[in-house]
Amino acid sequence: MKEQCPDGTEKTICGIQGNADPLSLLRKRESRRDPKKWVPRIKCGAGLPEFTPMKIGAGMTFLSIVTLLWVSISFPSARTFVDEVGREVTFSFPPRRIVSLAPNITETLFSLGLDEEVVGVSIHCNFPEKAKSKPRVGSYINLDFEKITSLKPDLIIATGAGNTRDMVDRLRKLGFPAYVIYPKNFDDILRSILHMGEVVNREKEAREITEQMRKRSQRVIELTKGLPRPKVFIQIGDTPLVTVGKGSFADDLIRLAGGKNIAGKEKEVYPRFGMEEILKRSPEVIVISSMNPKGDYQKILREWNQWETIPAVKYGRIHLIDSDLLDRPSPRIVDGLEELARVLHPERFKK
Amino acid sequence: MKIVTRKKVIAISIFLGLLLILVILISITMGSVKVPALRSIRILFQSILGLKGGGDETERAIILSLRLPRAVLAGLVGAGLSVSGATFQALLRNPLADPYILGVSSGAAVGAILAILLGLGTFSFGLPLASFLGALLTILIVFYFGRQDGRIHPNTLLLAGVIIGSFLSALIMFFISVSQKEELHTIIFWLMGDFSFSNARAILIIFPYILLGFLLLYLRSRHLNLILSGEENAVQLGVDVERLKLVSYLSASLITAASVSVCGLIGFVGLIVPHAVRLIFGPDHRLLIPASALVGASFLIASDTVARTLLAPTELPVGVITAAFGGPFFIYLLRTRKAVKTL
Repeated sequence: MKEQCPDGTEKTICGIQGNADPLSLLRKRESRRDPKKWVPRIKCGAGLPEFTPMKIGAGMTFLSIVTLLWVSISFPSARTFVDEVGREVTFSFPPRRIVSLAPNITETLFSLGLDEEVVGVSIHCNFPEKAKSKPRVGSYINLDFEKITSLKPDLIIATGAGNTRDMVDRLRKLGFPAYVIYPKNFDDILRSILHMGEVVNREKEAREITEQMRKRSQRVIELTKGLPRPKVFIQIGDTPLVTVGKGSFADDLIRLAGGKNIAGKEKEVYPRFGMEEILKRSPEVIVISSMNPKGDYQKILREWNQWETIPAVKYGRIHLIDSDLLDRPSPRIVDGLEELARVLHPERFKK
Repeated sequence: MKIVTRKKVIAISIFLGLLLILVILISITMGSVKVPALRSIRILFQSILGLKGGGDETERAIILSLRLPRAVLAGLVGAGLSVSGATFQALLRNPLADPYILGVSSGAAVGAILAILLGLGTFSFGLPLASFLGALLTILIVFYFGRQDGRIHPNTLLLAGVIIGSFLSALIMFFISVSQKEELHTIIFWLMGDFSFSNARAILIIFPYILLGFLLLYLRSRHLNLILSGEENAVQLGVDVERLKLVSYLSASLITAASVSVCGLIGFVGLIVPHAVRLIFGPDHRLLIPASALVGASFLIASDTVARTLLAPTELPVGVITAAFGGPFFIYLLRTRKAVKTL
């Protein structure tokens, strides 16, 4: 017996799609026909607390917050940044295992408070003390890729002034996100520190550090304003004699500290000078910043003392400054600036 | 065939000596800093006469403390390497022989590199001394293997020298691969040969060795001529061949050791100069040895002057210049003299 259904079709029992088992159909039919059975067995909300709309809204907000938090903690979201050489780098943010490929990067990361997050450093990284006990992953030109893989880094930070493009490409091919910084002068250093702060989720600390650096460098510029600029020769190599030209950080520091680099017009970043050139350009201050840790200050001093026609030698203005302070684009570059200024203009910087 | 008489030797030596003096004078007027030529020469002569004058302090420092010692040292080394090369070519009867063929230079290089890596450069003579010791040690080892039954076999000696030289070269490459950036620069710079540190002290140190070696070899020039025709022939003509070989090898090696330990590896001089002199003046050692010394001195002084002025203020390694100029010049000589007079 077919009935006329509300949806316009003719079925044995409305509400059932297609053909169904007759016995169950019968049971259903029974319940449908019996008005008493139309009364729902469970009363809406019986036995449960009352769900007002506001409570529901609050509950859902709370749940979504908890979910989001849980998700973001156990599954960090990936973010994409554009590094200083224009490449896109995608990695899980914030990175919790960071490998640094250069000493200036290591120093910056430690100063941002990432002692624990740094899991690998280069063999040249010597500051701060804690950095020396971190696993070593290689030098500027030679990386231990196996070691890096075993450290499972979330992010690798490299510098354009030191690490090679080939190395960074290989890291990417192996699947490691590599963020490259490339500071070229004093202002770039501040900018790189800020970028690194963004990338490791320490923007506030980075801003504090760069503010400090800016203040200190401003003070140096103020104190040396208007003073005559002494001619400076910074020696970074003993045999052969290598100095700093345009494009090096030390050259920038000389300018900021109120001096004049006698090699400041050379196109090479680290030009080699013959003694003739130095005699001709007669520097008034010589700063020894030898990168060779075994170099002997006394021996270098003796070698300079032969050339009494150089003003710096005649007036004993030969000084030693740690090369890590003069040529490393890290927060300590301001220390180098202040030392240099003290050496160039001692009258202005008496304690 | 040119007959060499004593008169001829003296005449040619005077001629070459004057040429050498001219080269020295020209070299002190040239440099990265412009000092007028006449003033440079005046400064030089004033100082020879014991007077102070001729120019201001800076110029005097440049001419007398930089350019002059450099010219003298380059001259000494050039003379030494040329004489040593000529000797090895005679003793080994091999036109490809040069002062470095018995591995002495590699030994000196290993000594120098060890000194750099161990920080011995801080002592005034640490580097040249270590280098010299390395060279001496190599000479002893090579001779130990080259001498059999109390006699020196040239082929065995040559083989021993080449093998030990190769082993030492491998050692050099090992050291280069494990050294840090800063040391690397110093090492490579030393290996390319350099006169930039030249001073009176270095000259005084190396002068006795070069002079001694030269005299010992010059006095045996006639015997060296005879050994060219073969050892058996030489013995029959009354030459104490073993003694000759021993003294000659040791003298030549000593000269090489002294030269390399003071200024690094400078190639081409010891190979090319003896051949060039032979092509012009003939193979008689009574003339060849003094002439090689004088021509070698002029050649290296000229090369060093070019090396330090071509791209001033950057200095090119002097070995680059000796190769660049020596090679083509030698080819020119070959073509104009038709045949290389074989040894």
